Amino acid sequence: MRNVGGAHRGLNMWLVQRASALIMALYLPGFLVYALVVGPLDFAAWHGLFVPLAVKVSSLLFIAALLVHAWIGLREIFIDYVHPMTIRLPLLFLFGTLYLGCLIWAADILWGVK
Amino acid sequence: MTAHDMRPTRPFYLNLIQIRLPIGGFVSILHRASGAALSLVVPALLYVLMLSLRSEADFAQIRNLAGGVLGALVGLGLVWALIHHFLAGLRHLGFDIGWGESKLRARMTAWIVLFAALLLTAVAAVGWLA
Repeated sequence: MRNVGGAHRGLNMWLVQRASALIMALYLPGFLVYALVVGPLDFAAWHGLFVPLAVKVSSLLFIAALLVHAWIGLREIFIDYVHPMTIRLPLLFLFGTLYLGCLIWAADILWGVK
Repeated sequence: MTAHDMRPTRPFYLNLIQIRLPIGGFVSILHRASGAALSLVVPALLYVLMLSLRSEADFAQIRNLAGGVLGALVGLGLVWALIHHFLAGLRHLGFDIGWGESKLRARMTAWIVLFAALLLTAVAAVGWLA
């Protein structure tokens, strides 16, 4: 049977983990500076941060990278500590579904900012 | 012979309590632990983001929670996890491009990650509690 849950697809995952890390490493300091420049964040200012389309797009990209990164990281942990495939695969499915839902939710949150 | 029998006999399961770790290993474990914690709180953080952007009243409620003892502890704990994971991740990216792989340098950067994360969390704490 094909090995569906093991550690033998390392290179692809390894590379995606670094690519997603890079996106986050660029976004986070950028957003921090952006927020600091805007100044004291009351509701109006905080809300206003997310109005520009470029901020919505880059924030959603960041969240997508975060979710992919989190899923691959959890997968690494499950490979080390959760050995029975009858538990590991449902866990991967559970978090994959949860995170996909989070991505759609995040899009709704961001595009809800008018 | 099944695939299971052909597995290499390297240790698959490492008992964290029995191993005495060098600093690099300690930072690495914290990298994993912080990553796991952050992964698990993503839905909760999205919920906080949603509330903070939804209305002035919800924003004020989040702000009140963040100002409380429990909120500050949890929030700053997550800030530390994020900063530690971020810095330890940069260290790994350095290894990937061949930077800092010598034993001396790897130990040095491990200490730097550990202390810089604590220091930056302290800076964040000043801002958080101000």
